[in-house]
Amino acid sequence: MNLAALIQFWPAVVAGIVGASIPRQAKVRHRLGLACVAAFAVLTVMWLWPDADAAKEATDKAAGEWPYLLDLLVGLPIFGAVVILFLPRQMLSTLRAFTYGIFGVSFLASLWLLRVPMTEGWHFVHTKDWIPSAGIRWHVAVDGMSVWLVVLTTFTTPIAAFASFGSVKTRVKELCVSFLLMQGAMLGAFVALDMFQFYVFWELMLVPMFLMIGIWGGVEKIKASVKFFLFTMAGSVLMLAALLYLVWTHHELTGVWSWDYLDLVRVVLRGDSTLSFHPQMLGFLGLSLAFFIKVPMFPFHTWLPDAHVQAPTGGSVVLAAIMLKLGTYAYMRFSMQLFPGPAHSMAATLAGVAIMGGIIYGAFCAWKQGDIKRLVAYSSVAHLGFVMLGLFGATTGGMQGAILQMVNHGIATGALFMLVGVIYDRRHTRELSEFGGLAKVMPVYATLFIIVTMASIGVPGTNGFVGEFMIIAGTFVSEPLSQLAGLQAFGAALGVIFAAVYMLGAVQKMFFGPLTNPKNKHLSDISPREAVALSPFIVMIFVIGLFPSLFLDRMKPAVDMNRELFKESGGQALRFAKRADGSLLDESHFPPAFLAGSLVKDLAARAAADKAQAVETAPAPSPAPAPTPAPTPNVQRLPAPTAAPPTASASVAIPPAGASGSAAAAPPTASAAVPPGGPGKAPGQPPPPPVSPKAPPAEPKAPPAPPGGAP
Amino acid sequence: MSSFLVALAPLLVVGLGGLLLMLGEAFAHRERGGSGPSADLAIGSFVTLAAGAVVAFSLWLVGPENLGGAAGVAPFLIVDRFTLFFDIVLCVGGALAALLAGGYLPEHKLDRGEFYPLLIFSTLGAMVLASAGDLLSLFIGLETMSLGVYALVGFRRGSARSAEGAVKYFLLGSFAAALLLYGGAMLYGATGHTDLAGIGAALRGGTLTGADYGLAIVAMVLVLAGLAFKVSAVPFHMWTPDAYEGAPTPATSFMAVAVKSAAFATLLRVLVSAFGDPASMSWGTGWPPVVALLAVMTMTVANLVAGRQESVKRMLAYSSIAHAGYLLVAVVALMTQPGIAQGSILFYLLAYTVSTAGAFGALILCGSRGKEAVSYEDLAGIGHRHPVAAAAFALFLLSLTGVPPTAGFFAKLYVVRAAIGGGFLPLAILLLLNSVVAAYYYLRVLVYMYMREPAPGAPVAVPMRSGYVTAALLICAAGVMLLGLWPTRSLELAIDAALAAR
Repeated sequence: MNLAALIQFWPAVVAGIVGASIPRQAKVRHRLGLACVAAFAVLTVMWLWPDADAAKEATDKAAGEWPYLLDLLVGLPIFGAVVILFLPRQMLSTLRAFTYGIFGVSFLASLWLLRVPMTEGWHFVHTKDWIPSAGIRWHVAVDGMSVWLVVLTTFTTPIAAFASFGSVKTRVKELCVSFLLMQGAMLGAFVALDMFQFYVFWELMLVPMFLMIGIWGGVEKIKASVKFFLFTMAGSVLMLAALLYLVWTHHELTGVWSWDYLDLVRVVLRGDSTLSFHPQMLGFLGLSLAFFIKVPMFPFHTWLPDAHVQAPTGGSVVLAAIMLKLGTYAYMRFSMQLFPGPAHSMAATLAGVAIMGGIIYGAFCAWKQGDIKRLVAYSSVAHLGFVMLGLFGATTGGMQGAILQMVNHGIATGALFMLVGVIYDRRHTRELSEFGGLAKVMPVYATLFIIVTMASIGVPGTNGFVGEFMIIAGTFVSEPLSQLAGLQAFGAALGVIFAAVYMLGAVQKMFFGPLTNPKNKHLSDISPREAVALSPFIVMIFVIGLFPSLFLDRMKPAVDMNRELFKESGGQALRFAKRADGSLLDESHFPPAFLAGSLVKDLAARAAADKAQAVETAPAPSPAPAPTPAPTPNVQRLPAPTAAPPTASASVAIPPAGASGSAAAAPPTASAAVPPGGPGKAPGQPPPPPVSPKAPPAEPKAPPAPPGGAP
Repeated sequence: MSSFLVALAPLLVVGLGGLLLMLGEAFAHRERGGSGPSADLAIGSFVTLAAGAVVAFSLWLVGPENLGGAAGVAPFLIVDRFTLFFDIVLCVGGALAALLAGGYLPEHKLDRGEFYPLLIFSTLGAMVLASAGDLLSLFIGLETMSLGVYALVGFRRGSARSAEGAVKYFLLGSFAAALLLYGGAMLYGATGHTDLAGIGAALRGGTLTGADYGLAIVAMVLVLAGLAFKVSAVPFHMWTPDAYEGAPTPATSFMAVAVKSAAFATLLRVLVSAFGDPASMSWGTGWPPVVALLAVMTMTVANLVAGRQESVKRMLAYSSIAHAGYLLVAVVALMTQPGIAQGSILFYLLAYTVSTAGAFGALILCGSRGKEAVSYEDLAGIGHRHPVAAAAFALFLLSLTGVPPTAGFFAKLYVVRAAIGGGFLPLAILLLLNSVVAAYYYLRVLVYMYMREPAPGAPVAVPMRSGYVTAALLICAAGVMLLGLWPTRSLELAIDAALAAR
């Protein structure tokens, strides 16, 4: 049995032995760590390898997706953060061990997500009412697009924490809390399908990052942290306005309050209006601005270099590797589907901004930086320009490439920031001019740096190549970009060359040439601890570079579905947009797997169930009020049978969000009854008191009018 | 007769409690050098006001429409859910101020017993104001509330700032009261009514002659201006920073919380009952453009000025002005979404009460006699020296900023929802952008508390220890988190409490 297992897993064992024997001198602990990383990487590849039997086995298991898995992923780090608040701050090793433990469990739990074949639609769905009167729920799910980002988060945060614990020695307790809270919030934002829940996590994410930059940052830390907070918050309040506008329109059309993404995708805002901008466009810009700031896209990128330069290494890694991805992910998931019309018609313009302002301008800025960390920060602007370009192009290949490139950028830039952190810990400077010829004193460090640089540039065989190639190829054939596609593909390709220019230029200045600066002569090479922290990144660079289909195949169904939907509703929404009233796209427009689990459906199902139960308990339907002997309060309080019909039907008529089942089931008729009042109405005419036929629950109960009489 | 008493029970409980405490304070024998009167009176006031809140809540459960006696006092005092909701908010605000005073006054050698009766009778005035359905009782309530507060502002007799604040507040407050009175007189002249419902009916009836209608419009402006003084809307806000800064901090907290809530209660009642006719509620011939202008100016000016303050207390004063501006946005939304807008205002006031009282309480806790927390610099590094006070302060500031999942976030969300639903998209966006500006100065406090160390030799605030203040902070923190995580029930209460728009 043991022998059989060993034979079956021989590549992992070999990789472990190779990993352990790589360093020339290191403690057993660190050799063991490297061996585990190498073996684990091979195991992952073996495990992800498409295999007929395994696929079948996995399909059988898919039926039993554990619904609380995502709750666990989101809740565990937050719970851990709260627990740490109550641990004494002197017990450093306990604090660290606890943090690692939580991260380890999260990572293993997130691997479970990969066991399920990512077919179309949502997986691991879990919903629970939170604020029913406002239509807000806890609604989490993953699909083939978000699952990789979830895994990236659980994969990167522990490494960042590990690196931080090496260099940060003050206020470790707060550091642990920040890391845990940040992971919980980021995972929550990646898996949220309720827009309100998404917003809450989106905002919650800011606080630990603000603390991380502000407490453990560099000289200008306070300016950088406040700038980061204010930029992001300015974007997110506009997002809130756009979401509220959508929610109101949805309420007007259906009579149901719902923040659920799957309900709001059906809403098409009304067309003509006194506003000079089309509301669709306004909503799109409001929503997307938040994401563009986070990404960051060209004119809003100024917070990023400051934040990165001032942040501690761990903070930079998390910021670059994960937090920026929330912007691109949210654009792909929310902006493109909630406002497909504007996203479609603006695509060519925005792609131009991404190329000129992101890829090319970012590259030029990076080229001229003297500070290596600032250089990496600007290279992030350029790389995320690629990701956005893939999304604007909206081809299957391009979007797959964009998702892969998100992961790639997380890995390559995370590794770069850690490498910069290594040299900063030794020299306390990051000026390129201070270095030169480092390869002579730090050969291992130089090797690792060059490998990561290759990945960042996109040399074939590394992960960066796959992503950028797919994006550029996708751009070339993109339909939304129409005539400009060729030109834009050319611009993007130019960006790759520029990336090589600035990255290789920096490498040349740092590592080669004569060793002139005497301070550099006695630098120690990379320590085993740092090597262990970096090794997962290095391994993943090659895993993705050599076996990209392991990742691409799993995201393909979801990406295909989203792209089809975007393409179709892009056209539909544009056509609908000319109508004076808002409208709901028909359900048949969406793949059934997509809309499953939306709040409106949920409410309709609940109402139907209630009705069925009511019919069951009282087979004789008597809707008229109870006959002659009026039921006394006592009787009414008795359980069902005696006073069944009135109470039961009343409970059907007042579901939590004030929606009657019929209104939910027949949206077209409901939309016809929308009163002409409400948003977008020209001021100046005396407004009639807006008593709509289906008055929302918010209408006040009339208190007894005070009898008016002159004294 | 008895049902009459039941309907007025919250007012009577608070009033009786205040009288008893006053008598008790006068006849209490206290040896020299012993503990000051705060020890008994703070608890007494807290219990009195909390009892007022509990009685109001039980009346709520009974339902004011089931109280036979409620009609007997109308239209002078109207007992409806709106009144009861405000009774609860005001009593909570007063009770928190009493607890804060219990810690603050002895610490700062201000421990004189008259603080508490003044506080209670001011709260009583505020409750009368919130329930007034007639211009006469409205004025009586306003003056009862204001006179007490004038004295509270000048409570630090030895301090020039306190005297300045009190005089400024008194002069401007009297002027505002005069404007209100003048407007009321004009309304009576135009319509022949002093009760709000009667005024509303006369305006709605369309029987007024041209001259009378003009008079009513002028009166509307005067009444609005008088009330704008009380809610301290820009440009009627000049007294606020001075009075807030000069007053002892518990009194500041009371003013920021209870006085403002009562002023909004009466503003809502006047606008909905008296000026709720279609013409007055229209964009062309009514109050909405005036209120919208006030809202925009209040939010923007207050936030910009608050960012430039060096004193934390003054910053909080300006921030309370800014919050009045956010609320005025919801008042504008009354035009098209009366139910939702009122619900959002009421919920906002509840959330604002716990957040602001908590913020002032945390500010009290951060300083002690001679080492008060006045400027930002004083707070430097308090995150290490007194983590609990700093954490509490941070929580309340985050709530005022509107970071989820705190009460302040939901409050702002509901206000914006009302504004967007009412079709006032530009106002909503201005509000949101303003809250980003506000985030700057709230964050600044966090930055000083957690990310700066005090300059060597510079004076720093030394935190005080007080069970009263801690208790008040615990209550506030519980409120902030409860309203933030489970806002459903309280929002439903707030919406139930909304006045019917006719």
